[in-house]
Amino acid sequence: MSEAAIQVEGVSKVFQLGVVGSYDLRSTLVNSFHRITGSLSRTNGHHEQEFWALKDVSFSVDHGQVIGIIGRNGAGKSTLLKVLSHITEPTSGRVTINGRVASLLEVGTGFHPELTGKENIYLNGSILGMSRKEIRKKFDEIVAFSGVEKFLSTPVKRYSSGMYVRLAFAVAAHLEPEILVIDEVLAVGDAEFQQKCLGKMKDVSGQGRTVLFVSHQMNAVRELCEKTILLHQGQVKEYGNTIDVIKRYLNKEGNLLSEWVNEGEDDSLDNPFFRPTRFAIVDTSLAPLEREISNDERVGIIIEGTVEKADSSLTLGFAVYTLEGQLLYWSLQADQEKEKWPAVNLGENKYLCWLPTNFLNEGGYRIEMILSLHYKEWLSRPEVNAPVLQFSIRGGLSSSPYWMLARPGLLGPILPFEKI
Amino acid sequence: MNQTIIEPRKHKLTLNLGELYRYRELLWTLTYRDYRVKYAQTFLGFAWAIINPLFTLVILSFVFGTVANVDTGSVPHLLYTNAGLCGWAYFQAVMSTAGTSIIGAQGMVKKIYFPRLIIPLSKAITALIDLGIVFIIMAVLMVYYQFTPPTSLVYLPFFILMALVSGLAGGIWISALTIRYRDFQHIVPLLLRVGMYATPIAFPASLVPEKYLFLYYMNPVAGVVEGVRWCIVGGTSPHPYAYISFVVVAVMFVLGLFYFKKIERVMADIL
Repeated sequence: MSEAAIQVEGVSKVFQLGVVGSYDLRSTLVNSFHRITGSLSRTNGHHEQEFWALKDVSFSVDHGQVIGIIGRNGAGKSTLLKVLSHITEPTSGRVTINGRVASLLEVGTGFHPELTGKENIYLNGSILGMSRKEIRKKFDEIVAFSGVEKFLSTPVKRYSSGMYVRLAFAVAAHLEPEILVIDEVLAVGDAEFQQKCLGKMKDVSGQGRTVLFVSHQMNAVRELCEKTILLHQGQVKEYGNTIDVIKRYLNKEGNLLSEWVNEGEDDSLDNPFFRPTRFAIVDTSLAPLEREISNDERVGIIIEGTVEKADSSLTLGFAVYTLEGQLLYWSLQADQEKEKWPAVNLGENKYLCWLPTNFLNEGGYRIEMILSLHYKEWLSRPEVNAPVLQFSIRGGLSSSPYWMLARPGLLGPILPFEKI
Repeated sequence: MNQTIIEPRKHKLTLNLGELYRYRELLWTLTYRDYRVKYAQTFLGFAWAIINPLFTLVILSFVFGTVANVDTGSVPHLLYTNAGLCGWAYFQAVMSTAGTSIIGAQGMVKKIYFPRLIIPLSKAITALIDLGIVFIIMAVLMVYYQFTPPTSLVYLPFFILMALVSGLAGGIWISALTIRYRDFQHIVPLLLRVGMYATPIAFPASLVPEKYLFLYYMNPVAGVVEGVRWCIVGGTSPHPYAYISFVVVAVMFVLGLFYFKKIERVMADIL
């Protein structure tokens, strides 16, 4: 087969913001009245509110390729999948698909809570495009994969959400199209089931089928896809080798705040004991981070400040929070035995503290500076007046073949196991 | 190898009935689902399917037959009314369920492709069950009154088909219109309530003054209801004007299909 499995040529999709969804009978009647009388000259107001979800997107995918699609929220990933799945029509351009397509934009589409597990397998299967015969043939496999054998004649509304998702994914996983379009369906279920799903997806792609896979999970994309498309503001920014594309994507985007310099706007930080001048998160060359880091990379926190009056009870350090605001830990220069404390001298002081690698999970983190005279006085108090840094971790969770996704829980330490 | 081409269909307006046929299994599955869900978890279950039309029948027959004392000739009023209900019950069921069907299925519409016409179509098929039940009641009444159906019964399939087409015509229009204008969710019950009295269900159309008859038969179901009853209980054959309503129905049906197809393209965007 010389022709491509999917050929996308100059596809654009425009949404009329504000106009979409505001169809009501009154405004239509009023508008058509105005149009008849000519008093509304179809103002440009419409065009100012255009939103190009996709703009001149072109690429082609060969048979048997597994392609990842990444990009920030709003980059057009979902719209692209919807166009490819025939759900929404492009404004211009053309897509040619050679082969039977199935798309999986959600697990459990059409599941009805009142129906039993068995009935829902048939229902969902035929919605996804399987014939009853196919479903009957695969029924046992689907049931075994989902692990809900005992509850087949129970209405799915009595299922736990985990069981529900497992059953739904099991049906989808047994589709056998030539081309499969998948949207982030792996972000469901517990960690164990996610692994099972990923394994199943690897099988699918191993069978020479063409797969388009949208995900925020860089590890999963890296694991499954040979090539990756990076979408940015509705356009294809990059299309190439997965490792390279992901690397460049992570370097450019993400919410980083890697350096704080005291410009004197907050006088609550002015004090004679330790007036902070700089707070930064740095890489191994001590340069402020300019990208997301992977979990096995060494990064350090730098705290600089001026001392006019020495006080032996000075403690300095930082607090680490998740972006959702949960405090993970404090780390102070005075955590160790007193002999190991770094000296505090009059004048300029600069401290560096390396963060543990392979410790946090994937995600964004906030770091706030802690300065105090131990049990006497706050100088820089987290969530009150402390300088703030932000960084995020993507990937590098471990080199184990089992952890391609974010790990469950807040932390992701790697602890060695030995046989005793 | 299947080839699919996706591009804007700005000026092409085709019904693509072949595709509809390829998706027939989905149609049956959705029909089965609706049927199962309707009576699942109710104490009386399927009995409701009989209780509802029975109540309508008794009330209509009481109001028009006993209170208003409408003359139905030699036919017992209960029988006469039920014959009228045959056409109406189906139309009403399809209008009310198909009308909101797309909105009810928006989760599916936004996430997966299939010909959207399947959704209102499955409602029309589910509603056939209701029609079947009215017929069963009919048969029971006939045995009770020892009523022999007239020879006009042979025309019944034609009028049933018209009932199907009129129900679908209304259902398809309303389902497409409701997507754009949610107002129709409120308009439909209103129309159906008016229609219930504006349609000759429990009284003969001959009661309507001659000068209003033309207007009267503009009602798309008037001719259908008259026709079905004529087949079952006999009497005078439908007024020539009844055929006006058949033409209205046919035109509405075809236009409805095209309007639905037009809206189908943007359905997922405006839902």
